[in-house]
Amino acid sequence: MTEHTPSPDSDRSNPRTRRLGAGVAIAVTAVLVVVGIVALVIGLRGTSGTPGPPQPAAGGASSNSNPATPGAGPTRSGTPSSSPSVSPGQIETPAQASVGIGDFLEASQPTSISIPSIGVRSSHFVSLRIQHDGTISVPGTAQEVGLYDAGPTPGQLGPSVLAAHVDTPSGVPGIFYDLGKVQPGDVVNVARRDRSHLTFTVDKVSAYKKTQFPTDAVYKGDFTRPEIRLVTCGGPTDSRNEYRDNVVVFAHLTNAT
Amino acid sequence: MGTTTTTRIAGASIAVAAAMALTVGPAFAAETWVSANLKPVAGNGVDGSGTAMVEVTGNSITVTMAANGLLPDNPHAAHIHFGAEARHECPALSDDTNGDGHLNTTEGGPAYGDIVVSLTKTGDTSPKSGLAIDRFDTAPGGKLTYQRGSITVSSDVATAISAGQSVVVIHGVDYNKDGKYSGDTKSDLDKSLPTEATDPALCGALHVAPAGGMHTGGGFAADGLKSGGQNEALLLIGGGALLAAAGTGAFAARRARSRA
Repeated sequence: MTEHTPSPDSDRSNPRTRRLGAGVAIAVTAVLVVVGIVALVIGLRGTSGTPGPPQPAAGGASSNSNPATPGAGPTRSGTPSSSPSVSPGQIETPAQASVGIGDFLEASQPTSISIPSIGVRSSHFVSLRIQHDGTISVPGTAQEVGLYDAGPTPGQLGPSVLAAHVDTPSGVPGIFYDLGKVQPGDVVNVARRDRSHLTFTVDKVSAYKKTQFPTDAVYKGDFTRPEIRLVTCGGPTDSRNEYRDNVVVFAHLTNAT
Repeated sequence: MGTTTTTRIAGASIAVAAAMALTVGPAFAAETWVSANLKPVAGNGVDGSGTAMVEVTGNSITVTMAANGLLPDNPHAAHIHFGAEARHECPALSDDTNGDGHLNTTEGGPAYGDIVVSLTKTGDTSPKSGLAIDRFDTAPGGKLTYQRGSITVSSDVATAISAGQSVVVIHGVDYNKDGKYSGDTKSDLDKSLPTEATDPALCGALHVAPAGGMHTGGGFAADGLKSGGQNEALLLIGGGALLAAAGTGAFAARRARSRA
């Protein structure tokens, strides 16, 4: 069959009808493709129609989002005057561009965390550790918040990393289900065993592909002030029901009492 | 369809594995960093804590460190320790070989090795400055802050630090709570100093950060799919719709071609 040979059915319909038929077929094809893909995606996710967890508004899985860290090169040692008070008092941490080390607190385990803007509150904490394959462990249940125990506790100098599940294997939303809804400027409150109450203010909320996880930005930051990271899963799932992304909230300490 | 999906998943798994291998593997000239939680040394009675972070670029390191709960206004020698034969960790009470209930710097050796970097505020940073008391932070109010870049180390030391095998130790304790370094017991490092001046106060092994992302999705495990019902129905509908689309698509293509 060559291209210019009239097709066998060309004689049983006029050109106008033929065009119409082709148009309808294309439209039907498009609808079927969309329906098919949507059904497959939902079927594979197993959500029977419920949407996935909220994603950061401005986010998108940005790939090379490791903010370069200032502070390399010849730096001065932190001047004592930049650390105004010793005990947890009403402290205002210095502006983010400050040189040197801002004020910080001693180590103390968190006893509760709340994010008022998304109605999250938990007082169930577990320790997260590096496993033999080099990856970090995750909490056993969807209501626990894990603290990376080789990193700072909230309030110490550097980023304290807390992670929790977005949902359970049976589809029940986890404690961090709505983490992607958090906005810059929102606050995260942390109470600690030493009875201090810390307020962290959110700087950024982003989603990253797990294969491009911003390890430096999450675990190191600029390491000159107390910070907190909240991590959960997000994005589409694959056929093994593994989420593609991690949603990360970046915040820094703005008040301690 | 099934084959394509499987291939793609396999590809993704390989990509993940490769990414992890890259992250975990030892870094040479590349920039790496490690961090530590500083905790009280066993037996030495310091109610303090701290954090430290060391960036390694070639043979140059930058150290950022903060601690509290130290004896105020007295010099606190601080070092990075490493020993090829050491355990790359902080000492335990079982390292108290002289049985006095405290750990001195030498007793900690099997755990953390020798001094490889002296965290002085100015001047030399080699092991020779290990007890350069006038050049260490004095922890005003019990709080120590330290930040210094361009500290040159040997390739072996750079490699050891990058591999997570070094340990940060801040020295200087006050057993008798008199507010100064005192007491009859002399330092194991320098007989002209009381042991309080050199005994380790806070210690933390410098670890490599966890590799890759976090598996924080419950992600609707297999039981949801096995149980059939809506999931399977949706899969059937989806597959059916796509098959039908293939059919109508072919029809449309044929129509379109016939028009040409």
